[in-house]
Amino acid sequence: MDLHDLTAAYALDALDADETEAYERHLAQCEQCREQLAELNETAGALAFGAVAPAPPARLRSAILEGAAAERTNVVPLLRRRWVARGLAVAAAVAACVVVGFVVWAARPGPKHVVAVVKVGPDRRATLTVTGLPDAPHGKIYEAWVIPARTGKPRPAGLFPGPGGIVHLRGALPRHAVVAVTVERAPGVPAPTTRPIITAYT
Amino acid sequence: MSRQLAHLSDEALVLLAARSEDSALAELYDRYGRTAYGLALRVLRDPALAEDAVQDAFLAVWRTAAKFVPERGKASTWILTLVHRRAVDAVRREQRRRAESLDPATEPSVEGVEEDAWLRLQRERVQEALRRLPDAQREALELAYYGGFSQSELAERLGQPLGTIKSRMFSGLSRMRELLGEPGTEKSWTSTT
Repeated sequence: MDLHDLTAAYALDALDADETEAYERHLAQCEQCREQLAELNETAGALAFGAVAPAPPARLRSAILEGAAAERTNVVPLLRRRWVARGLAVAAAVAACVVVGFVVWAARPGPKHVVAVVKVGPDRRATLTVTGLPDAPHGKIYEAWVIPARTGKPRPAGLFPGPGGIVHLRGALPRHAVVAVTVERAPGVPAPTTRPIITAYT
Repeated sequence: MSRQLAHLSDEALVLLAARSEDSALAELYDRYGRTAYGLALRVLRDPALAEDAVQDAFLAVWRTAAKFVPERGKASTWILTLVHRRAVDAVRREQRRRAESLDPATEPSVEGVEEDAWLRLQRERVQEALRRLPDAQREALELAYYGGFSQSELAERLGQPLGTIKSRMFSGLSRMRELLGEPGTEKSWTSTT
C-alpha cells in the first residue's frame, strides 16, 4: 500500500480503521503528506457547506451548552482515542513519545499566540515546550508546576526565563496531571503565588 | 448572550473555548451548528442520529479546543471535520445506508428550508464546483464524503480498481480546490441576526 496515495481519502474520511492508523503513522514522518493534507482538508471541509442545511432543533443548542457546562468542572478532558491519534499525527512528527496536551493562553493583549506542548515519554518523564512568551519581567522567572489530579497540590517542576524553550519537568508525570506555568519571583518559589498563564491538561 | 463575541474570528473563539468560555462555544455553534447539522443529516439521513453526531462533535470542540493549532488550518474546517468524522463513524456503525440505493434523489430537498443568504451562497458555490467536475470524480467525492463510503467499499460498489478510486478522489479534490479558488477565498463571517 503506497501511503502517499491515501491523503485524499483520509481528508474525506474514506479510509477504514486500519488504513487510518497506518496513514497516521506515515503522516507523522512525512512532511510532504502533512502539507498536502492541510490543503485537501480545507477543500474537503468546504464540501460540508454543499449539503442542504435545515435548521437544527433548538434543543440541540441547549443540549450542547448544558453538556459543556457539566464538563467544565472536570479537570481531565477525555479525548477520544481516534482524535488523539489524528491530532498527534498532524501536530508533529514526534518520535516515541506521546503529546498529551497543550493549551494556548495569550499572556497579554496582542496577536501573539503562546503555545505550550507537553510530551510524555513511556517512562512518564515529560517535557514542556513553550513558544511565544515574552521575556519574564526583571527579577521574575517562569516556573512550571505539575499538579497531580489525585492531590491537586502543585509541585515545582522547573524554571525558565522565557521567551520559550524546553523544560524537562522534574519527576515523573502522573496520569491526568495538569502542567501549569506561573510568573514567580526569581529564583523560583516552592508554591505558586500567581495565576497560571499556561495550563495544560494531560 | 454570545452576540457580543460576534466580532471575533473563529480562531479567537476556539482559543476562548479552550479557556472554558462557554459563550465562545455558543457563538461557534451559532456560526456552524446549522452547517454541521445539515452535513450530519446528509450523511446519516436520520435527524436523531444527526443531532447526536453534532452534539458529540461540539462537545469534542469544547474538550479539545486547546489542541487546535491555528497554523494548521481554519477553525471552521476543524469543527466540521469533527462533525463529519462522527457522522461517518455512526453511519458505518449503523449500516444504515448500506440498504439504500445511491439515488441522489434521497438528498434532502432544499424546498421549505429557510436559510440565510450567506449559507445559501456557500452551498451554491460548492454545488456549482461539484457540477463542474468530471462525472466520475464527482461521484467518488459525493459517495465518499456525503455517503460515508470507504474507498474499498467504493471500489467494490463501482466495480473499479482501488487505484482508480484513489486517483478520482485525489483529482476531484484537487480540482475542487482550484474551482473554489482556494486558498484565497476566506469565508468571511457576517452576523445573521
